[in-house]
Amino acid sequence: MELTLAQGIVKSAALLGAGLCMGMGALGPGIGEGFVAGKACEGIARSPENASLITRTMLVGQAVSESTGIYSLVIALLLIFST
Amino acid sequence: MMISTEHIQIAAYLGAGLCVGIGAITTGIGSGMIAGEGAYGIVKQPKANEQLFRTMLIGQAAAQTAGIFALVISMLLIYGIDMTIGGWFKASAYLSAGLAMGLGSIGPSLGAGYAGSQACKSVARMPKQGNAIMGNMLIGQALAQTSAIFALVVAFLLIYSVPNQPDGISTGHIIVKSLALIGAGLAIGLGTLGPGTGIGFVAGKATDSMGRFPAQKPTILRTMFLGAAVSESTAIYSLVVSFLLIFAL
Repeated sequence: MELTLAQGIVKSAALLGAGLCMGMGALGPGIGEGFVAGKACEGIARSPENASLITRTMLVGQAVSESTGIYSLVIALLLIFST
Repeated sequence: MMISTEHIQIAAYLGAGLCVGIGAITTGIGSGMIAGEGAYGIVKQPKANEQLFRTMLIGQAAAQTAGIFALVISMLLIYGIDMTIGGWFKASAYLSAGLAMGLGSIGPSLGAGYAGSQACKSVARMPKQGNAIMGNMLIGQALAQTSAIFALVVAFLLIYSVPNQPDGISTGHIIVKSLALIGAGLAIGLGTLGPGTGIGFVAGKATDSMGRFPAQKPTILRTMFLGAAVSESTAIYSLVVSFLLIFAL
């Protein structure tokens, strides 16, 4: 790999950006999904007859929270491989 | 770009300090949350004091795990490496290992602390369910610490499996590789923060609910595992991105 200094700085900024992007992007979904699951545990304990309904809502809610984590993954992979 | 031994020493010592410094923040907060609920539980339920004391100590020990990982990495960065060779690649890998483990222990410790504090609260409310509550607390704390183990693995890889800087490569290449290594540490360090905290919240709520409604134990456990597994996914994305940044470039 032969790089000029300027190309090296651009590429390195992209890679550092990829790391920061995935790192910070994982922060929110992780906390959010955990909050959903915690409340679902509490809800299922209180009204076990609605367990399947609560589990379904939990999974849909987590899938929506997960989306920003996946956006970060996509951007991180783009920054690594297509710059 | 010339590099001397001092540059590598600066990076390694800075990494070691940041690692245990950042790692101690929430390890302390988490253990304190557990002790607070443990002490307050004795006010509410003086007869259960031995059980509360035991739950508090075991919970605190589990919450300290990530802090101990940070201490190990910090010791390795001070005493366990050869700082005379390696060039910029090794210097940035050492700094990055410290950042990875330091930031990586924030979330799991906070999560384990929340789970432990809920367990103490729950034992004070239902001392008869003490063993079931403590068992669930330990499972939940172990789930929360998984992401700290990801950070530990990345820190070990950064310390021991990054190659020395070869002679005669261009400055551009050196900058790319060095910043890719720092990016890998930041990705896993920040990336474990959310999942660790989130899984700890799940574990805390599940432990609390189990104390209130012991008959629902199987359903609560199932929901806890399912929810924790989904929360863990972003930590796994971060692990993949850090492996790519370490090995694919």
